[in-house]
Amino acid sequence: MSDKTTTPREITFRLRRFNPETDSVPHWDSYALNVPDGMTVLEALHQLKAEQEPTLAWRSSCRMGVCGSCGMFINDLPMLACQTQVLHLGTDVVSVAPLPNYENVKDLVPNLEPLIEKHAAIKPFIIHTNSKEIDEPTGEFLQTAEERESISQFTHCIKCGLCLAACPTVATDPLFLGPQALAQAYRYTADNRDCGLHDRLEAIDIFHGPYQCHLAGACSQACPKGVDPAFAIQLLKRTLVLDSIGFGKKKSSLAKVMPLADVVKAIEEFAPPKRTV
Amino acid sequence: MRETRLWSLHILVIPIIAVLLGAHFALMHYAPVFYGVSVEEARNFETMIERGKSVAQLVLYILLLAAGLYHGLYGMRGILRELPLTPALAKLVDWGILLFGLFIFALGTYVTWWTFSFKAGG
Repeated sequence: MSDKTTTPREITFRLRRFNPETDSVPHWDSYALNVPDGMTVLEALHQLKAEQEPTLAWRSSCRMGVCGSCGMFINDLPMLACQTQVLHLGTDVVSVAPLPNYENVKDLVPNLEPLIEKHAAIKPFIIHTNSKEIDEPTGEFLQTAEERESISQFTHCIKCGLCLAACPTVATDPLFLGPQALAQAYRYTADNRDCGLHDRLEAIDIFHGPYQCHLAGACSQACPKGVDPAFAIQLLKRTLVLDSIGFGKKKSSLAKVMPLADVVKAIEEFAPPKRTV
Repeated sequence: MRETRLWSLHILVIPIIAVLLGAHFALMHYAPVFYGVSVEEARNFETMIERGKSVAQLVLYILLLAAGLYHGLYGMRGILRELPLTPALAKLVDWGILLFGLFIFALGTYVTWWTFSFKAGG
Protein backbone atom coordinates (compact mmCIF):
# COMPACT_ATOMS: atom_id res chain seq x y z
CA MET A 1 0.00 0.00 0.00
CA SER A 2 1.50 3.31 -1.05
CA ASP A 3 1.73 6.24 1.32
CA LYS A 4 0.15 9.22 -0.38
CA THR A 5 1.09 11.80 2.23
CA THR A 6 3.87 14.14 1.21
CA THR A 7 6.40 15.76 3.51
CA PRO A 8 5.48 19.27 4.62
CA ARG A 9 6.95 22.08 2.49
CA GLU A 10 8.21 25.34 3.90
CA ILE A 11 6.09 28.17 2.54
CA THR A 12 6.70 31.86 3.14
CA PHE A 13 3.52 33.75 3.88
CA ARG A 14 3.59 37.45 2.99
CA LEU A 15 0.74 38.95 4.96
CA ARG A 16 -0.46 42.49 4.53
CA ARG A 17 -0.71 44.05 7.95
CA PHE A 18 -2.57 47.15 8.96
CA ASN A 19 -3.54 48.40 12.38
CA PRO A 20 -5.55 51.64 12.10
CA GLU A 21 -4.52 52.58 15.64
CA THR A 22 -0.77 52.51 14.95
CA ASP A 23 -0.25 52.44 11.15
CA SER A 24 -0.92 55.17 8.64
CA VAL A 25 -0.36 52.83 5.68
CA PRO A 26 -0.40 49.03 5.39
CA HIS A 27 2.85 47.06 5.27
CA TRP A 28 3.89 43.49 4.49
CA ASP A 29 5.28 40.98 7.01
CA SER A 30 6.70 37.55 6.14
CA TYR A 31 6.32 34.32 8.12
CA ALA A 32 7.64 30.85 7.34
CA LEU A 33 5.47 27.80 7.97
CA ASN A 34 5.78 24.09 7.24
CA VAL A 35 2.69 23.28 5.24
CA PRO A 36 1.47 19.69 4.94
CA ASP A 37 -0.60 18.48 2.01
CA GLY A 38 -4.25 19.50 2.36
CA MET A 39 -3.70 22.51 4.63
CA THR A 40 -5.87 25.44 3.63
CA VAL A 41 -4.81 29.08 3.76
CA LEU A 42 -7.27 29.56 6.63
CA GLU A 43 -5.69 26.70 8.61
CA ALA A 44 -2.26 28.17 7.90
CA LEU A 45 -3.42 31.55 9.24
CA HIS A 46 -4.75 29.86 12.39
CA GLN A 47 -1.40 28.13 12.89
CA LEU A 48 0.56 31.34 12.28
CA LYS A 49 -1.62 33.16 14.79
CA ALA A 50 -1.20 30.41 17.38
CA GLU A 51 2.57 30.03 16.96
CA GLN A 52 4.02 33.27 15.57
CA GLU A 53 1.73 36.30 15.34
CA PRO A 54 -1.07 36.43 17.93
CA THR A 55 -2.21 39.91 16.82
CA LEU A 56 -3.05 38.84 13.28
CA ALA A 57 -6.69 39.66 12.42
CA TRP A 58 -9.03 38.20 9.81
CA ARG A 59 -12.67 37.21 9.57
CA SER A 60 -13.83 33.61 9.22
CA SER A 61 -16.52 31.31 10.52
CA CYS A 62 -17.71 28.04 9.00
CA ARG A 63 -14.43 26.75 7.48
CA MET A 64 -16.36 24.97 4.73
CA GLY A 65 -17.15 27.55 2.04
CA VAL A 66 -20.68 28.21 3.20
CA CYS A 67 -20.64 31.41 5.25
CA GLY A 68 -18.53 33.52 2.88
CA SER A 69 -16.62 35.27 5.65
CA CYS A 70 -13.02 34.44 4.77
CA GLY A 71 -12.69 36.12 1.39
CA MET A 72 -9.08 37.25 0.91
CA PHE A 73 -6.75 38.35 -1.87
CA ILE A 74 -4.52 35.29 -2.12
CA ASN A 75 -1.64 35.50 -4.60
CA ASP A 76 -3.42 38.50 -6.14
CA LEU A 77 -6.72 36.70 -6.71
CA PRO A 78 -9.89 36.91 -4.61
CA MET A 79 -10.52 33.52 -3.00
CA LEU A 80 -12.05 31.94 0.08
CA ALA A 81 -9.20 31.10 2.46
CA CYS A 82 -11.06 28.02 3.72
CA GLN A 83 -11.38 26.55 0.21
CA THR A 84 -7.86 27.27 -0.97
CA GLN A 85 -5.19 24.68 -0.29
CA VAL A 86 -1.77 26.26 0.13
CA LEU A 87 0.18 23.66 -1.86
CA HIS A 88 -2.34 23.83 -4.71
CA LEU A 89 -1.29 27.44 -5.26
CA GLY A 90 2.06 26.06 -6.49
CA THR A 91 4.21 28.91 -5.17
CA ASP A 92 6.82 28.98 -2.40
CA VAL A 93 5.71 32.45 -1.40
CA VAL A 94 2.01 32.98 -0.74
CA SER A 95 0.78 36.55 -0.43
CA VAL A 96 -2.41 37.21 1.52
CA ALA A 97 -4.06 40.64 1.57
CA PRO A 98 -7.53 41.91 2.39
CA LEU A 99 -10.04 41.98 -0.49
CA PRO A 100 -9.48 44.96 -2.77
CA ASN A 101 -12.31 47.42 -3.59
CA TYR A 102 -13.24 47.52 0.12
CA GLU A 103 -12.03 49.68 2.95
CA ASN A 104 -9.45 47.86 5.09
CA VAL A 105 -10.59 47.56 8.71
CA LYS A 106 -7.53 45.73 10.07
CA ASP A 107 -4.95 43.30 8.66
CA LEU A 108 -6.97 40.94 6.44
CA VAL A 109 -10.40 42.24 7.42
CA PRO A 110 -12.30 44.17 4.73
CA ASN A 111 -15.31 46.35 5.48
CA LEU A 112 -18.14 44.52 3.68
CA GLU A 113 -20.75 47.19 4.44
CA PRO A 114 -21.00 48.43 0.82
CA LEU A 115 -21.74 44.85 -0.28
CA ILE A 116 -24.53 44.48 2.26
CA GLU A 117 -25.96 47.94 1.53
CA LYS A 118 -26.07 47.29 -2.22
CA HIS A 119 -27.57 43.86 -1.62
CA ALA A 120 -30.27 45.29 0.65
CA ALA A 121 -31.03 48.11 -1.83
CA ILE A 122 -32.29 45.70 -4.52
CA LYS A 123 -34.93 44.26 -2.11
CA PRO A 124 -33.64 40.68 -2.05
CA PHE A 125 -36.90 38.96 -1.18
CA ILE A 126 -40.01 37.71 -2.95
CA ILE A 127 -42.46 40.52 -3.64
CA HIS A 128 -45.92 39.22 -4.51
CA THR A 129 -49.12 41.12 -5.31
CA ASN A 130 -51.11 38.70 -3.18
CA SER A 131 -50.16 40.32 0.13
CA LYS A 132 -53.04 38.57 1.92
CA GLU A 133 -51.56 35.21 1.01
CA ILE A 134 -48.11 36.41 2.12
CA ASP A 135 -49.46 37.54 5.52
CA GLU A 136 -51.88 34.66 6.09
CA PRO A 137 -50.70 31.77 3.91
CA THR A 138 -53.25 29.12 2.95
CA GLY A 139 -50.77 27.10 0.91
CA GLU A 140 -47.57 27.44 -1.06
CA PHE A 141 -46.76 29.35 -4.22
CA LEU A 142 -46.29 26.71 -6.88
CA GLN A 143 -42.91 26.58 -8.63
CA THR A 144 -42.12 23.85 -11.12
CA ALA A 145 -38.73 22.16 -11.30
CA GLU A 146 -38.02 23.99 -14.60
CA GLU A 147 -38.91 27.36 -13.10
CA ARG A 148 -36.64 26.66 -10.17
CA GLU A 149 -33.84 25.44 -12.44
CA SER A 150 -33.90 28.70 -14.43
CA ILE A 151 -32.74 30.67 -11.38
CA SER A 152 -31.02 27.87 -9.48
CA GLN A 153 -27.36 28.90 -9.89
CA PHE A 154 -28.10 32.48 -8.81
CA THR A 155 -29.57 31.26 -5.52
CA HIS A 156 -26.18 29.83 -4.54
CA CYS A 157 -24.68 33.26 -3.73
CA ILE A 158 -23.17 33.30 -0.22
CA LYS A 159 -22.49 37.06 -0.14
CA CYS A 160 -18.76 36.59 0.27
CA GLY A 161 -18.06 39.67 -1.84
CA LEU A 162 -15.30 38.11 -3.96
CA CYS A 163 -17.08 39.22 -7.12
CA LEU A 164 -16.96 42.87 -6.07
CA ALA A 165 -13.28 42.51 -5.22
CA ALA A 166 -12.62 41.10 -8.69
CA CYS A 167 -14.77 43.63 -10.57
CA PRO A 168 -12.74 46.27 -12.48
CA THR A 169 -15.80 48.52 -12.69
CA VAL A 170 -16.24 48.59 -8.91
CA ALA A 171 -12.54 49.54 -8.71
CA THR A 172 -13.17 52.70 -10.74
CA ASP A 173 -16.80 53.37 -9.86
CA PRO A 174 -17.55 52.61 -6.19
CA LEU A 175 -21.21 53.51 -6.73
CA PHE A 176 -21.66 50.68 -9.27
CA LEU A 177 -24.15 48.23 -7.75
CA GLY A 178 -21.80 45.41 -8.63
CA PRO A 179 -22.20 41.81 -9.72
CA GLN A 180 -23.53 40.48 -6.43
CA ALA A 181 -26.49 42.84 -6.06
CA LEU A 182 -27.33 42.80 -9.76
CA ALA A 183 -27.23 38.99 -9.93
CA GLN A 184 -29.54 38.87 -6.91
CA ALA A 185 -31.83 41.45 -8.51
CA TYR A 186 -32.15 39.08 -11.45
CA ARG A 187 -32.53 36.05 -9.19
CA TYR A 188 -35.60 37.55 -7.48
CA THR A 189 -37.03 39.29 -10.54
CA ALA A 190 -36.89 36.09 -12.60
CA ASP A 191 -38.50 34.03 -9.84
CA ASN A 192 -42.01 33.08 -10.93
CA ARG A 193 -43.31 33.86 -7.43
CA ASP A 194 -42.06 37.44 -7.66
CA CYS A 195 -43.56 40.51 -9.30
CA GLY A 196 -41.37 43.12 -7.66
CA LEU A 197 -39.40 44.40 -10.65
CA HIS A 198 -41.09 47.80 -10.47
CA ASP A 199 -40.35 48.03 -6.74
CA ARG A 200 -36.67 47.45 -7.55
CA LEU A 201 -36.41 49.87 -10.48
CA GLU A 202 -35.43 52.81 -8.30
CA ALA A 203 -32.40 50.84 -7.13
CA ILE A 204 -31.38 49.01 -10.32
CA ASP A 205 -32.54 51.05 -13.32
CA ILE A 206 -29.96 53.77 -12.69
CA PHE A 207 -26.69 54.91 -14.24
CA HIS A 208 -24.67 52.85 -11.75
CA GLY A 209 -26.80 49.77 -12.51
CA PRO A 210 -26.40 46.91 -15.00
CA TYR A 211 -25.37 49.12 -17.94
CA GLN A 212 -22.12 50.05 -16.18
CA CYS A 213 -20.96 46.42 -16.43
CA HIS A 214 -17.93 46.33 -18.78
CA LEU A 215 -18.33 42.59 -19.37
CA ALA A 216 -14.90 41.70 -17.96
CA GLY A 217 -16.37 38.51 -16.49
CA ALA A 218 -13.92 38.58 -13.56
CA CYS A 219 -16.86 38.18 -11.14
CA SER A 220 -17.87 34.87 -12.66
CA GLN A 221 -14.29 33.62 -12.51
CA ALA A 222 -13.92 34.63 -8.87
CA CYS A 223 -17.20 33.17 -7.56
CA PRO A 224 -16.41 30.21 -5.28
CA LYS A 225 -19.95 28.82 -5.65
CA GLY A 226 -20.05 28.65 -9.45
CA VAL A 227 -22.51 31.51 -9.86
CA ASP A 228 -22.18 33.44 -13.13
CA PRO A 229 -23.05 37.03 -12.14
CA ALA A 230 -21.85 38.42 -15.48
CA PHE A 231 -24.51 36.28 -17.19
CA ALA A 232 -27.13 37.36 -14.66
CA ILE A 233 -26.38 41.01 -15.45
CA GLN A 234 -27.00 40.36 -19.16
CA LEU A 235 -30.25 38.57 -18.33
CA LEU A 236 -31.24 41.48 -16.09
CA LYS A 237 -30.60 43.92 -18.94
CA ARG A 238 -32.89 41.84 -21.17
CA THR A 239 -35.57 41.79 -18.47
CA LEU A 240 -35.36 45.58 -18.04
CA VAL A 241 -35.41 46.32 -21.77
CA LEU A 242 -38.42 44.03 -22.34
CA ASP A 243 -40.22 45.62 -19.39
CA SER A 244 -39.47 49.15 -20.64
CA ILE A 245 -41.19 48.39 -23.96
CA GLY A 246 -44.18 46.71 -22.33
CA PHE A 247 -43.15 43.05 -22.60
CA GLY A 248 -42.50 42.51 -18.92
CA LYS A 249 -43.63 39.63 -16.75
CA LYS A 250 -47.35 38.96 -17.17
CA LYS A 251 -49.49 38.61 -14.09
CA SER A 252 -50.89 35.38 -15.54
CA SER A 253 -47.41 33.81 -15.37
CA LEU A 254 -47.19 34.42 -11.63
CA ALA A 255 -47.07 31.43 -9.33
CA LYS A 256 -50.47 30.11 -8.24
CA VAL A 257 -51.17 29.19 -4.65
CA MET A 258 -51.26 25.45 -4.05
CA PRO A 259 -53.57 24.66 -1.10
CA LEU A 260 -51.84 23.17 1.92
CA ALA A 261 -53.78 19.87 1.64
CA ASP A 262 -52.46 19.43 -1.93
CA VAL A 263 -48.93 20.28 -0.80
CA VAL A 264 -49.11 17.54 1.88
CA LYS A 265 -50.53 15.10 -0.69
CA ALA A 266 -47.72 15.90 -3.14
CA ILE A 267 -45.10 15.40 -0.44
CA GLU A 268 -46.62 12.05 0.51
CA GLU A 269 -46.59 10.99 -3.13
CA PHE A 270 -42.85 11.65 -3.42
CA ALA A 271 -41.96 10.40 0.06
CA PRO A 272 -40.03 7.14 0.33
CA PRO A 273 -42.13 4.10 1.32
CA LYS A 274 -42.61 3.68 5.07
CA ARG A 275 -40.33 1.18 6.73
CA THR A 276 -42.08 -1.96 7.83
CA VAL A 277 -39.29 -3.28 10.05
CA MET B 1 -36.02 58.84 -17.22
CA ARG B 2 -35.25 55.16 -16.79
CA GLU B 3 -31.63 54.38 -17.62
CA THR B 4 -32.86 51.37 -19.61
CA ARG B 5 -34.59 53.66 -22.12
CA LEU B 6 -31.52 55.89 -22.49
CA TRP B 7 -29.27 52.85 -22.93
CA SER B 8 -31.65 51.10 -25.34
CA LEU B 9 -31.82 54.22 -27.50
CA HIS B 10 -28.03 54.42 -27.53
CA ILE B 11 -27.92 50.83 -28.84
CA LEU B 12 -30.83 51.39 -31.22
CA VAL B 13 -29.14 54.29 -33.02
CA ILE B 14 -26.10 52.16 -33.93
CA PRO B 15 -27.69 50.60 -37.07
CA ILE B 16 -29.17 53.99 -37.97
CA ILE B 17 -25.70 55.57 -37.78
CA ALA B 18 -24.22 52.71 -39.80
CA VAL B 19 -26.73 53.21 -42.64
CA LEU B 20 -26.67 57.02 -42.64
CA LEU B 21 -22.89 57.19 -42.28
CA GLY B 22 -22.67 54.77 -45.21
CA ALA B 23 -24.80 57.18 -47.26
CA HIS B 24 -22.62 60.11 -46.14
CA PHE B 25 -19.47 58.25 -47.17
CA ALA B 26 -21.01 57.37 -50.54
CA LEU B 27 -21.92 61.04 -51.11
CA MET B 28 -18.75 62.68 -49.90
CA HIS B 29 -15.83 60.26 -49.99
CA TYR B 30 -16.76 57.68 -52.61
CA ALA B 31 -18.30 60.09 -55.11
CA PRO B 32 -15.95 58.86 -57.88
CA VAL B 33 -17.28 55.33 -57.38
CA PHE B 34 -20.99 56.10 -56.98
CA TYR B 35 -21.46 59.30 -58.98
CA GLY B 36 -18.54 59.39 -61.35
CA VAL B 37 -17.28 62.75 -60.08
CA SER B 38 -13.94 63.47 -58.41
CA VAL B 39 -13.74 63.87 -54.62
CA GLU B 40 -12.67 67.50 -55.07
CA GLU B 41 -15.68 68.14 -57.26
CA ALA B 42 -18.01 66.43 -54.79
CA ARG B 43 -16.73 68.66 -52.00
CA ASN B 44 -16.63 72.05 -53.68
CA PHE B 45 -19.03 74.76 -52.50
CA GLU B 46 -21.31 74.82 -55.54
CA THR B 47 -21.81 71.03 -55.56
CA MET B 48 -22.51 70.97 -51.84
CA ILE B 49 -25.02 73.79 -52.08
CA GLU B 50 -26.66 72.07 -55.04
CA ARG B 51 -26.81 68.75 -53.24
CA GLY B 52 -27.97 70.38 -50.02
CA LYS B 53 -31.15 71.49 -51.69
CA SER B 54 -32.51 67.96 -51.83
CA VAL B 55 -35.01 66.94 -49.15
CA ALA B 56 -33.33 63.51 -48.91
CA GLN B 57 -30.03 65.15 -48.00
CA LEU B 58 -31.73 67.42 -45.48
CA VAL B 59 -33.38 64.45 -43.76
CA LEU B 60 -30.23 62.30 -43.96
CA TYR B 61 -27.99 64.86 -42.29
CA ILE B 62 -30.42 65.92 -39.59
CA LEU B 63 -31.03 62.27 -38.70
CA LEU B 64 -27.30 61.47 -38.80
CA LEU B 65 -26.59 64.49 -36.63
CA ALA B 66 -29.22 63.48 -34.06
CA ALA B 67 -28.17 59.81 -33.99
CA GLY B 68 -24.43 60.54 -33.91
CA LEU B 69 -24.77 63.20 -31.24
CA TYR B 70 -26.96 61.01 -29.03
CA HIS B 71 -24.67 57.98 -29.32
CA GLY B 72 -21.47 59.95 -28.83
CA LEU B 73 -22.69 62.11 -25.98
CA TYR B 74 -24.28 59.16 -24.15
CA GLY B 75 -20.84 57.51 -24.28
CA MET B 76 -19.18 60.73 -23.11
CA ARG B 77 -21.64 60.93 -20.22
CA GLY B 78 -20.75 57.34 -19.31
CA ILE B 79 -17.05 58.20 -19.15
CA LEU B 80 -17.61 61.37 -17.11
CA ARG B 81 -20.11 59.80 -14.73
CA GLU B 82 -17.63 57.04 -13.88
CA LEU B 83 -15.46 59.67 -12.23
CA PRO B 84 -15.95 59.99 -8.48
CA LEU B 85 -18.53 62.80 -8.65
CA THR B 86 -20.79 64.20 -6.00
CA PRO B 87 -24.53 63.86 -6.80
CA ALA B 88 -24.64 67.58 -7.63
CA LEU B 89 -21.71 67.27 -10.05
CA ALA B 90 -23.26 64.16 -11.60
CA LYS B 91 -26.45 66.15 -12.21
CA LEU B 92 -24.36 68.96 -13.70
CA VAL B 93 -22.71 66.49 -16.10
CA ASP B 94 -26.14 65.15 -17.17
CA TRP B 95 -27.57 68.62 -17.80
CA GLY B 96 -24.34 69.95 -19.30
CA ILE B 97 -24.21 67.09 -21.81
CA LEU B 98 -27.91 67.50 -22.64
CA LEU B 99 -27.62 71.25 -23.22
CA PHE B 100 -24.39 70.87 -25.21
CA GLY B 101 -26.06 68.20 -27.37
CA LEU B 102 -29.11 70.37 -27.97
CA PHE B 103 -26.90 73.35 -28.85
CA ILE B 104 -24.82 71.36 -31.36
CA PHE B 105 -27.98 69.82 -32.81
CA ALA B 106 -29.56 73.26 -33.22
CA LEU B 107 -26.39 74.58 -34.85
CA GLY B 108 -26.09 71.60 -37.21
CA THR B 109 -29.76 71.76 -38.10
CA TYR B 110 -29.45 75.48 -38.80
CA VAL B 111 -26.51 74.90 -41.19
CA THR B 112 -28.30 72.06 -42.95
CA TRP B 113 -31.46 74.15 -43.27
CA TRP B 114 -29.44 77.16 -44.43
CA THR B 115 -27.92 75.00 -47.19
CA PHE B 116 -31.34 73.61 -48.08
CA SER B 117 -32.88 77.06 -48.43
CA PHE B 118 -29.83 78.81 -49.95
CA LYS B 119 -30.60 81.08 -52.88
CA ALA B 120 -27.66 82.23 -55.01
CA GLY B 121 -27.28 86.00 -54.83
CA GLY B 122 -30.05 86.17 -52.24
